Amino acid sequence: MSSLSNMSAEEISELLDEYGIKHGPVVDSTRNLYEKKLKEAMAKGKKAKPSPDKTFYREEEEEVTYVYRTPAKSEDVRDRTYMRSRPEWTERELEHSASYSGYSRSDYKGRNYDELSHESPKYTKEDFPTYGQDAPKAPKSSRLIPLWVQFLCFLAVAVFLYLVFSSMESNEPLKVIE
Amino acid sequence: MSSTSQKHKDFVAEPMGEKPVMALAGIGEVLGKRLEEKGFDKAYVVLGQFLVLKKEEELFRDWLKDTCGANAKQQERRRTSSP
Repeated sequence: MSSLSNMSAEEISELLDEYGIKHGPVVDSTRNLYEKKLKEAMAKGKKAKPSPDKTFYREEEEEVTYVYRTPAKSEDVRDRTYMRSRPEWTERELEHSASYSGYSRSDYKGRNYDELSHESPKYTKEDFPTYGQDAPKAPKSSRLIPLWVQFLCFLAVAVFLYLVFSSMESNEPLKVIE
Repeated sequence: MSSTSQKHKDFVAEPMGEKPVMALAGIGEVLGKRLEEKGFDKAYVVLGQFLVLKKEEELFRDWLKDTCGANAKQQERRRTSSP
């Protein structure tokens, strides 16, 4: 990584975008500030890398949904693991060979499909800590709204509708439906 | 927001025009000198810097901290001083 002071204004601007730092034009009076911000961001350990956010995001999401879906459907799991291994392969190859990526990749490819469905709960739990190191906010940010909140909202809407129904004066509409 | 000082009220009472940077609330002798050394000799230049930072408060705060070593409260006064 070339030193920040040697970079052109456009390069600094691009770097700031990569780290998700809101910024204005890189001019004489602002350059110093942005260089310091970039140094801080880099020291914090590369929260946003050049690779597109979407791929990274999808990885985390797949990781989490895997835990939820395995007991329910086995077909889904196959699709997900298949989809997951391919982008993961290309993405990890491009980026860096962190220990966790090697671990997860080799394990997924090596195992049999049947074994996967049984052992997945254990596996993903082990995987979480290592994943967590590299992307501390990953497990939480995989869903915009956590699953339990969604269930709660659904229940609330259902209860509300039931109350509306039951408090209607005539019972005829209910009978018609049934 | 915390109560404003007399200096702040004086500053916002009229357009800043050519007021020096030390007229800004929270900028006294020491900080004003540091700003002037860096070329920010008038209040409107500091306003210009705020605008160049796209009116981002946090960025402006960081810039002020770097440039003249102002603490958080002084920076807030500066920000609210500008229209």
